Amino acid sequence: MKNLDSVFAAYVIGWAVFFVFYITVARRTATLRTEIDRLKNSLPAGSKK
Amino acid sequence: MTKRLLLGVVALVLVIASAYASFYIAPEERTMGVIQRIFYFHVASAWAGFSAFLICFVANLLYVWRRDQKYDWLGVSAAEVGLAFTTIVLITGPIWAHPVWGIWWTWDARLTSTFILWLLYVSYLLLRTLVEEPDRRALLSSLFGIFAFLDVPLVFGAIRWWRTQHPSPVIMGGANSGLEPTMKAVFFFSAFAMHVLMVFLVLERYNVEKMSDEVDVLRRELETA
Amino acid sequence: MGLLSNSATLLGKELRTEFRSRELLTTTIVFILMVVVLFSFTFDPTTAESRRFGPGLLWLAFLFAASLMLQPCFLREQSNDTLSSLRLAVSDPFAIFLAKVGANTLFLMVTELLMLPIFSVLYNVPVLPELPWLILVLFLGSLGISVAGTALSAISAQARMRELLLPLLLLPLLTPVLVASTEVTVGLMDREPIVQWKGIGFLAVFDIVFLTALWLFGEYLLEE
Repeated sequence: MKNLDSVFAAYVIGWAVFFVFYITVARRTATLRTEIDRLKNSLPAGSKK
Repeated sequence: MTKRLLLGVVALVLVIASAYASFYIAPEERTMGVIQRIFYFHVASAWAGFSAFLICFVANLLYVWRRDQKYDWLGVSAAEVGLAFTTIVLITGPIWAHPVWGIWWTWDARLTSTFILWLLYVSYLLLRTLVEEPDRRALLSSLFGIFAFLDVPLVFGAIRWWRTQHPSPVIMGGANSGLEPTMKAVFFFSAFAMHVLMVFLVLERYNVEKMSDEVDVLRRELETA
Repeated sequence: MGLLSNSATLLGKELRTEFRSRELLTTTIVFILMVVVLFSFTFDPTTAESRRFGPGLLWLAFLFAASLMLQPCFLREQSNDTLSSLRLAVSDPFAIFLAKVGANTLFLMVTELLMLPIFSVLYNVPVLPELPWLILVLFLGSLGISVAGTALSAISAQARMRELLLPLLLLPLLTPVLVASTEVTVGLMDREPIVQWKGIGFLAVFDIVFLTALWLFGEYLLEE
């Protein structure tokens, strides 16, 4: 079937965009998570919420 | 955390299922052949992107009214996700057009309007990078977001009325212009899958804003402790 | 009515400020002239094509000029910190916007009307026969440009890179005005001129939508 590769290309590129978006967000989430834990641990015990 | 993960898995399953349906369940279109199957992905993305911008608009209104940071977080998340979906529309459009009409860009009314839509929200995000103070940034971008969204129907209207004079190829004859029932079902399923994916991505992005804020709060606490 | 009289007073102030130096008007006119002349180098402006393309280029020139002309709109207030005194002087902040929109529309129209005979000569397009209708479309288009431009100028004045930001925000937003105004103008400058009521109605709708939005949200644009 001609044009099948175009259809595949469209789907692959589309999913790639979503994938890149999600990976970027997930990495930022992980970095922030470690930063939050680090900050929480360095708070003196008395002022921890 | 696990609720979001569950939503992500559901979104993934739905998207894969809709892709399967697009290829194996939907019948082949008579005139364009297999290339037409892009339609399920292309138009579903457009709808989901637009819904994201609608969420952004509502978040903008709520921010101006309530001044709660959370609405600003929702606004920027929805705008970014909407932009991702709209980018896909602009990429899959030419991929569809080229084998069918031999040209990459067809100045199809809807695609052109989508391009302007894309530019508007790129400007929205650009504006945000140029205002440093968080409350001011939230207010200014919300106000621009409101103006931009109000502009959208005017953009689509103007281009549709006056820029479809020249015989230009129409990429989609409109989702409801005589679509065969199976095709309709597959399309609405794809649209649903895309919307679930959109909501998942917005929530994930929102969470980044929320955690970012938590880091700032903790840092300030650390300074005063 | 308090709003109208306040707006009128402030409009007077805007006009007086500009007519004292006239720098905004003169630089805008020269800019539009340069753009129109430069455009004419990109195609043959005496053929029939000029009737089809000329109006579009003219409106594009107006748009570019406006995005530059609107920069000082709120920056001027910022540098002299006159905005807070303005806000104290009026009960309804919309008066400030009405005045500025009025002034900007007026300035735009002055430059456009001065450009019209020059455009007519350079591009060999008659403008006298349909002049009233042309003035109408110039007014509706300029009003749309001013309303959106004034609002966005208030936004960009509070951001960095404001000289680039204003055109960036304004130009995509004004696409409908560009399209509709061009179409109406093309109709008016045709060999057999017609009045495109759809376009005129559309421009009126655009103006009303954004004036209403400015009325609803204007006070937030001016927040300190």
